[in-house]
Amino acid sequence: MNDRSKLWFLNWPLIGVVVLLSVYGSVMVQSATSGMSAGPAMFKRHLFGLAVGLVPLAVAWMFDYRKLRGWLGPLVMFDALLILSPHIPGLGATAKGATSWLAIGGFRLFQPSEPAKLVTIVVIAAVIAGFKGRIKSGRELATVLGILAVPLGLILLQPDLGTGMVFVAITAGMLLIGGLDAKWFVTLGVIGVVLVGSVLGLNGTLDKSMGRDVLIKDYQLDRLLVFVDPSLDPKGAGYNLEQSKIAIGSGELTGKGLGSGTQSNLRFLPEPHTDFIFSVTGEELGFLGAVLLLGLYLALLVIALEIAAQSRDLFGSLICAGVISMWTFQILENIGMTIGLMPITGIPLPFMSFGSSFMVTNMMAVGMLLSVWTRRQGVSGI
Amino acid sequence: MGVLGLLLARLWTMQVLYGGEYASQADQNRVREVTTVAPRGRILDRKGRELVTNRATMAVVADRSVLENPALLNRLSALLSMPVADIKERVSSVREAALAPRTVMIDVPKVAVAYLSEHATQFPGVDVQVQAVREYPLGASAAHVVGYTGEVSESDLSASGGSTGYSYGDIVGKAGAEAEFEKVLQGDRGRRLLEVDATGRPRRVIQDVEAVPGRDVVLTIDSTVQKVAEKALADAMTDAHRKGFTKAKGGAAVALDVNTGEVLAMASLPTYDPKVFLGGVSKKNWAKLTAKTSDYPLTNRAIMGQYPAASTFKAITGLAALEYGMTTPGSTYDCQGWWTGMGEEWGKWCWKHGGHGTETFKDGIKDSCDVVFYEIGHRFYKDKGEKFQKFSRRFGFGEKSGIDLPGEMSGRVPDAKWKAAYNEDYPEYRTWLPGDTVNMAIGQGDLLVTPLQIGNAYAGIANDGKILEPHVMKQVLGPDGKPVLSAKPKVAFETKTDKGDLATMTSSLVSVTEEGGTGASVFRGFPMRVAGKSGTAQVTGKDDYAWFVGFAPAEKPRYAVVVAIEQGGAGGAVAGPAVRQILASLLGQPVEHVTASDVSR
Repeated sequence: MNDRSKLWFLNWPLIGVVVLLSVYGSVMVQSATSGMSAGPAMFKRHLFGLAVGLVPLAVAWMFDYRKLRGWLGPLVMFDALLILSPHIPGLGATAKGATSWLAIGGFRLFQPSEPAKLVTIVVIAAVIAGFKGRIKSGRELATVLGILAVPLGLILLQPDLGTGMVFVAITAGMLLIGGLDAKWFVTLGVIGVVLVGSVLGLNGTLDKSMGRDVLIKDYQLDRLLVFVDPSLDPKGAGYNLEQSKIAIGSGELTGKGLGSGTQSNLRFLPEPHTDFIFSVTGEELGFLGAVLLLGLYLALLVIALEIAAQSRDLFGSLICAGVISMWTFQILENIGMTIGLMPITGIPLPFMSFGSSFMVTNMMAVGMLLSVWTRRQGVSGI
Repeated sequence: MGVLGLLLARLWTMQVLYGGEYASQADQNRVREVTTVAPRGRILDRKGRELVTNRATMAVVADRSVLENPALLNRLSALLSMPVADIKERVSSVREAALAPRTVMIDVPKVAVAYLSEHATQFPGVDVQVQAVREYPLGASAAHVVGYTGEVSESDLSASGGSTGYSYGDIVGKAGAEAEFEKVLQGDRGRRLLEVDATGRPRRVIQDVEAVPGRDVVLTIDSTVQKVAEKALADAMTDAHRKGFTKAKGGAAVALDVNTGEVLAMASLPTYDPKVFLGGVSKKNWAKLTAKTSDYPLTNRAIMGQYPAASTFKAITGLAALEYGMTTPGSTYDCQGWWTGMGEEWGKWCWKHGGHGTETFKDGIKDSCDVVFYEIGHRFYKDKGEKFQKFSRRFGFGEKSGIDLPGEMSGRVPDAKWKAAYNEDYPEYRTWLPGDTVNMAIGQGDLLVTPLQIGNAYAGIANDGKILEPHVMKQVLGPDGKPVLSAKPKVAFETKTDKGDLATMTSSLVSVTEEGGTGASVFRGFPMRVAGKSGTAQVTGKDDYAWFVGFAPAEKPRYAVVVAIEQGGAGGAVAGPAVRQILASLLGQPVEHVTASDVSR
């Protein structure tokens, strides 16, 4: 097979949408950081992240995903190692209450929990693929959940509630594609609600009895409570949400123009280049800019679903389902939190938010989709 | 798909349906308004001399938070040599809505300012500011005319639905000209719109409107005459005390230009120092200024004091009698000291119990013979129709003159209707009796007048029967010092009195100050002819009130002056010399203190 035909096997629509999203994101990051003293350096770092991301994208694409199916054990261990790595003395760094960064000499390099999402997708896909599209028994379900418990448990210990939620969302999407019975979904839902309720209750009791902040950190709880009622704390946790809503709402139909967002440029908006990049978009480009972005995401997810449908095997479809679930959840959670539909968690917006670990991970996910596509049904010899 | 649809619906609501609301919130976030106080206009006398101006002072201000810090209060108290209770009083008087810091002390000593700036961290909530306060170059002179300033009140702010344009802490006029001309003195606040970032740091100026300084107001007051009037009034008070009238404390003097209505001097005793209001008047000082024992120094007795007019009213009675044919200049009366015109049981004394003998009408004015006016009053009573009251009102009695100062009282011209209403609950006192008109004829009974009303009436006699509206505002100056508004003479009361009658009255009044008249000793040696009249009012339970009113030069009158002293004794002897001094000052004559010996009323 020559180079030309290999290129033909690329999914050009996917690449086109990803390029458009990346350009859109770069423009917004540039605008959001323009008012900061470190702005130009940050923008360069963002572009550098994009360029670096091309390497894992290419590697993942070239690599035959099917080989991964046999490496379940080592992959689970690798997953755990990634998540635990920041706790290795001399390598970790703590930011915003979570030890989730790999750092050298205090210089934060990388968040290993980001690629751990992809490893988790592969691991769960490998397990579910073994059930051949029907998950009937509780034992089978328990196996999946047991495997999930390894990365999820470790991530919650960091503690990183946001990433934990992504893991749960990924697994839920894959169980759906993997053929889990509806009754189990209902059961899981009920168990989930009970679990969350009792954890919250236990958290309060533990905090009180131990006299310190354990289990769920107070700031995490604050964010949740503020989501229910932003006026609880308009200058504290509710401030972010209020300012974000003002930013987006004040963008009106056509926006204030690139670089002219007062909420972002005058620093009313927190983290305008990372968690709240959508607020900047909404403020500066208005409803039309938001529609454009959501349209691109819709195209991305539709193309990914098509790839899942065209997959040569269930394992490939499940990997696609994992990636789709991951993106869908992140889009919903990130945009949702900026407009008060979801609680505020530190989940960035795919292809838009500043952050190299996140960008590299998403590029690698694109590579995985391409890997499935290139080896789809009716394509032989690869 | 559903998920994206949900997000889209929410965005449509926020950005398109309610976008305008969020946009205004975004503006509230970023736009701060900073206002600057406009310098208040000055108040000048007619010759441009400053009565009130502004000066900068170092002030210590504090917000409410200091109230919860006893240690800080003690430190501040020691530093400012001010009792903790006083500091608390000043700071806690900040109203709920106004979180702005409140002035604790003005004219803070330099040492204390330096200490506060160097130890700022020890004084959280306390700050030093440069403030503009009123300055009174002539001290308390003309205090009742210029008035005083104070912080805008809650009721001022809520007036006209809160659209007064005032903000908490604004300094506004509270009395006198300061209050009357508040609108022109105040000026317009400067307004600067700034764009600020989330930390409140200004980024750029969006809009900048400079403060428009308040306008200077030129008063008709001549500060030289004003000072003479104040001194003459104070001397008259001392004089009264020396003569045994030790209860004399209150009094007023007014000098009017009879041709224009301009007030050249207006004094009231007791007086006050407007300086006590600077930086906010303390509760203690306010209590002192308003206590009964203080004799109400804030009251401008020239326009608010209502007294019986006594014999000064005989000129009005006389003019009324001439007009309605109740008398003629040559009519004769027989005064035996005891008048029984209403029957023996209602007999009344003339002030001269020995009697004046045969008196013409003109002698009646010169000698202030009560019997002449009892007769006139009795004729008016028998005439019914209340012509005397109507005539009195034509001269402005019972009505406000419309002077441009707040708080003017209207006095009272009693009539049958008034008496019936006034004594509603005492049926036996409701009927208008002959004695009521007879008493009014000599300026007693239920008649009440203000010193200004007496001054106006005599100014009217002097000015061919036209009473001009008295006023203290001469001009309002523009930024270039040129007048943008000038007061024009305006007739307040067109008395429509016969010229001949006025001439008769004037010549009678001149005879008062000439040899043989009741005011002769007061004006002996005065280089011009003066038309004048004394008055000694009887007030139940009090010593007599002293009056003197006059105008000069009698041939071509220019100025009318009235002086009233509460419980000062005989008018001619006590108030007369004060009128002479003020007239002398107005007419450019040497101001001499004379001791009058007249015993008349």
